[in-house]
Amino acid sequence: MPGIDECLSEAMSIAGARGVSLIDWSSGLSLGQAGTGPNGDHEAVAAEVTDLARAAADSPTFADPEDPRTPLRDLILTANASYHLLCFVDTVFDSRLVLYLWLDRAAGNLASARFRLQALAEELVLG
Amino acid sequence: MTATVGAPGETVERLAAAGATGALRGAGGTVYLVEGRVVHVESGLATGLATVLTACGRVSPATWLQTVRAYGPEHRVGRMLVERGHLTRGELELCHLDALYDAAFFTLTARTTTGVFEPGVRHWLGPVNLVGARALRRETVRRRDLLERIWPWPQVDTSPVRPGLADPRARQRLGPRRCRLLELADGRRTPADIARLLGRSAFATTVEIRRLAASGLVETPAPEPLRPAPPLTRPPRPVPQPPGLPSAGLPSRGPWSSEPRAFESAPAAPPPPGEPRRAARAGPGLLRRNPGESLAHPRQPRHAAVHPLSVHDPDVALLTRVLTALEDRL
Repeated sequence: MPGIDECLSEAMSIAGARGVSLIDWSSGLSLGQAGTGPNGDHEAVAAEVTDLARAAADSPTFADPEDPRTPLRDLILTANASYHLLCFVDTVFDSRLVLYLWLDRAAGNLASARFRLQALAEELVLG
Repeated sequence: MTATVGAPGETVERLAAAGATGALRGAGGTVYLVEGRVVHVESGLATGLATVLTACGRVSPATWLQTVRAYGPEHRVGRMLVERGHLTRGELELCHLDALYDAAFFTLTARTTTGVFEPGVRHWLGPVNLVGARALRRETVRRRDLLERIWPWPQVDTSPVRPGLADPRARQRLGPRRCRLLELADGRRTPADIARLLGRSAFATTVEIRRLAASGLVETPAPEPLRPAPPLTRPPRPVPQPPGLPSAGLPSRGPWSSEPRAFESAPAAPPPPGEPRRAARAGPGLLRRNPGESLAHPRQPRHAAVHPLSVHDPDVALLTRVLTALEDRL
């Protein structure tokens, strides 16, 4: 049964993974991280991922108003050399968590990375 | 049992540096340490682990009570919840970290500097996550600064939540999560009460309430009037501070003190008087008071951004700047 650390080290085994963190986007706290952050600073990453997740999940345009628990499944940002994947973690108890993966575009495969990240987010909660 | 003197965050760090095991009880809450690492924090102002897990139905109250009764004395409640299949390990870790930081915020920002350390006392939950004392204090400072940036009126955190008179269309854009929160704002419940009813973290709820107050959807109550400072009493036995740490500890602007607070009760760092954030929407019914005049309507103003200026404002602004500068050096 994986805990936070196992989930993060497993995410780092995704091909092309540069860094991963589990972020509480209600407060902006990084609950755990592995690898490197895009600026070498996981704390700054947590703050910026929080802003992005909040902007999307609180937006009546993007979020599903019928499902307050998981208004969004994931967000994908494509930059020139990397992808940024934000996978929302669905828990029964109230939480606002996102699993963030910084993925190298040349070394990684977006579809498979997205699939694995979602599976990891589910395993973290369901065991 | 040892009496401690010093800001709570600083005392926790000192105990952690000494590799202490035990419980530090203060006015805001209790911090549990095992061999110098923080294993749990509890605060009456935060939403506890039991409430978060039972409010949503993840663990039934009966199961929770039974597990605490059976394994609490052995300090194995967390482990047994997982072993018995009531929770997954990931859920327990996530929930525990949230509850720990939530309670730490209210415990470490308490202004009371006296506490009691009980060596050897362990929490019934047992070890789940270990957090460093310095990381805990840094996170608490970050959270307090976050609230200040959203809406610098700490009185909204502890006052009963009243819906404001914002444009009704703004409510429609809120989304179900914040609507649920506003539905429970009946003018009697505080943010902590609402958080408990919803089984949400008290800090996250406080963040939402400050955001709602900034947008005028929740009223910002008038700041408390200035009260005389309490007489200074000398601490019975001054405890030597470790070198390199500022003696003021974690300078809290949180309103969770049980002591009279002369400085805190004044408006803290208001937006510059000439440019309130939502000045364009301020209605004609809003009162501004000239320095020295008495306040005709104690509950005015009703809009968040336009608190009457008091004669003490320049001093408060200066003190706030000094405080911010000192905090930056922490």
